[in-house]
Amino acid sequence: MSTIAAAHPPEIRERRYLLDREGVLGPLMLLPAVVYIVALVGFPLGLAIAYSMSDVTVGDQGLDWVGFRNFVDVAKNGTFQKALRNTFIFTLVSQVLVLTLANILALVLSADFKGKRLVRFLVLLPWTTPIALGAIGWLWLLDPVYSPIDWVLRQVNLLGPGTIFGPRGNMYWTAKADLAQLSVLLIHTWRTLPLATVILLAGLTAIPQDVKDAANVDGAGFWRQLIYIRIPLLLPIMAVATLFGMVFTFTDMTVVYVLTRGGPIDNTQVLASWAYFKGIEGGNLAQGAAIAMFLFPVLAGVAVLMLRMARRTETT
Amino acid sequence: MRGRTPVWGTGISRRTLLKGTGAAALAAAMGPQLKARATTFQTPTVNISGTELKILQWSHFVPTYDTWFDNFVKEWGTANGVTTTVDHINTADVPAAIAAEISAGQGHDLIEHIVPVAQYGPAMLDMTDVVQEMTNRHGPQLDLAKRNSFNPTTNTYYAFNHGYAPDPANYRKSLWEQAGLPNGPATFDELLEGGGKIMNEQGVQMGIGMSNEVDSNMAAQAMMWAFGGAVQDENENVVINSPETIAAVEYMAKLFETAMTPEVFGWTAASNNQLMIAGQASYILNSISAYRTAQADQPDVAKDVFFGTPLVGPAGPERALAHGHAVFNYMIPKHSKFPDTAKEFLFHLVANYDQAANESKLYNFPAFPSTVPNLTQEGGPLDNDPFGSEPANKLAPLKTAEQWTTNLGWPGPANPAIGEVFGSFILPNMMARTARGEMSAAESVAKAEQDTLPIFEKWRSQGLIGGGQ
Repeated sequence: MSTIAAAHPPEIRERRYLLDREGVLGPLMLLPAVVYIVALVGFPLGLAIAYSMSDVTVGDQGLDWVGFRNFVDVAKNGTFQKALRNTFIFTLVSQVLVLTLANILALVLSADFKGKRLVRFLVLLPWTTPIALGAIGWLWLLDPVYSPIDWVLRQVNLLGPGTIFGPRGNMYWTAKADLAQLSVLLIHTWRTLPLATVILLAGLTAIPQDVKDAANVDGAGFWRQLIYIRIPLLLPIMAVATLFGMVFTFTDMTVVYVLTRGGPIDNTQVLASWAYFKGIEGGNLAQGAAIAMFLFPVLAGVAVLMLRMARRTETT
Repeated sequence: MRGRTPVWGTGISRRTLLKGTGAAALAAAMGPQLKARATTFQTPTVNISGTELKILQWSHFVPTYDTWFDNFVKEWGTANGVTTTVDHINTADVPAAIAAEISAGQGHDLIEHIVPVAQYGPAMLDMTDVVQEMTNRHGPQLDLAKRNSFNPTTNTYYAFNHGYAPDPANYRKSLWEQAGLPNGPATFDELLEGGGKIMNEQGVQMGIGMSNEVDSNMAAQAMMWAFGGAVQDENENVVINSPETIAAVEYMAKLFETAMTPEVFGWTAASNNQLMIAGQASYILNSISAYRTAQADQPDVAKDVFFGTPLVGPAGPERALAHGHAVFNYMIPKHSKFPDTAKEFLFHLVANYDQAANESKLYNFPAFPSTVPNLTQEGGPLDNDPFGSEPANKLAPLKTAEQWTTNLGWPGPANPAIGEVFGSFILPNMMARTARGEMSAAESVAKAEQDTLPIFEKWRSQGLIGGGQ
């Protein structure tokens, strides 16, 4: 010790002791993450709150305080009410579909069969495609007049005069309110299904082999194993997949913007797209921010749930 | 600087004068062709050498324009020692780009959009000096150009309008001939009757959108005008809920039942073009860009496409109007580092507007008519299309475009409230609700009024629009 003390001057020794203290080193190591979160999450969130309580416009960025007036004005608007309802419906229904289909796909993909790698690649493809590109592809597939899906339906005599979907020669996917909503819903399902499948696949492979062996020895069939073993053991991981899917779907505006621009008659408008049209295209930034702020309680709730689950996983 | 000495104190150099004179002689020999001269370069009124000019603008619907424009900017930059950049983006993405640049306080020096965006006005430089100088150089600016770029409440030009694209009717002659109207419909009654006949007897629909896109907005507004309605009056008060607007909505519902299919509720801005080019539409409202595309891709369809002026409705011929299909508004953001350079470029562009009209294949019409003097003259390019129309005088109905083209929000100005009404698709949805049978015309118009009033109140409280008495 005396050798070290002699080799280093007192100020360096002091600094080393400072860094050895947990109360100093810990916050120091956390600082980059805190700065990152404040800059990329905290600042935009604070700005959005400030915008939503001001009369800011795209052209005039001065923040004059108006309290909750924007929220009241926005809530009275019929299009906003439709957007709010659609956002919840698209998110919840698509995630129910995703969860069901992802379970089936994960089970199929966990089995051994020829061409498994190719099938896995194809299942993952929608997730690797940029959403804007995918949505444009769907825009062409669902074109009101030149839809290839319509063409197939016509070829197999399901569409046209005297057929089940007739009498017109087109379904008008994006032009009829119910079909446009269904289209948006299915595209969200198509987009988030691969992520959920991969998460569940990882969960399935994590089920201990001895549990499966014990079930087999006890003579439990497929359904019994699914209901009493797989699903209960997969529940935490299913919740993770659902929460991720909810965040992606709840905040997405690309699908609606590209496919329907909120139409027909605002029947596919969602909070994110309506915030964009009002705030950016209409120049009414304050109301756009107020609309977007309605996403916040749900996202905050989902974030709390995710953190709780992460903590529970750590402790078990 | 040789050859660039101003002549007779006009600011025009000897070289410019000589080039101009030579080109004028050449143009005279060109007969009915558009007199596109060689580029003229004028001595800038301020020293801009060593500066930079970054331009952001829409990708033109006629692609040859962009090719020409990029070279045109480059040549001007080289001649004046200015470093230039031109970025083209989809017109639908321009508002988001403007908003982002205003928020960041940096970006391009000159931004062009084809819809008046008065709502962005406070972040833009007042272009009054540019308009005045242009007027000194080229004579008066069209009233419709002023109304699409001037806010009377703030008494500022939030943009400089250099031109517009007319929005005529595009109809298929062979179909309308069989319906007994060889020159297409001239009134809304004829549109309903003839369009219904074509739909029933020839199985071809017409395409007037009722969707969340810009063409549907313009069609709805034109129809309201023809029936005597409007969103706002001259003094910027909301007058949308009127018997005239209700009549227009009722008519649109009837037109949909008689001559259209549900596709019009799900259209994008390109859909009516696509339908016409594919030969599947009897009648659409659009600029000539769809026709120019058809000339290249579907010549047989193009031969059958003809143009008409806005239809006369119950309010008479003086309200048979159309919005400019595109109004070419350049804005200089307040954050621009080189606003003088941007203004000098605008002087250069307008001085050579005959080239702009020519390279856009007559899509661009000038805001300063003297810059393309023979455009609307008898025997000019609209009577003898240099771009291969058959018959050559197919574009002749556009000669009167100046008389029937007006601004967004007429009879009031193109103000921020009207911009937001357009951005929220209130008008096409008002039409669609009744056409879909969801509401009566009176209910739908009342709902549109309910959506419109708060928008006007909001912008009025910001001091950007008048009215409210």
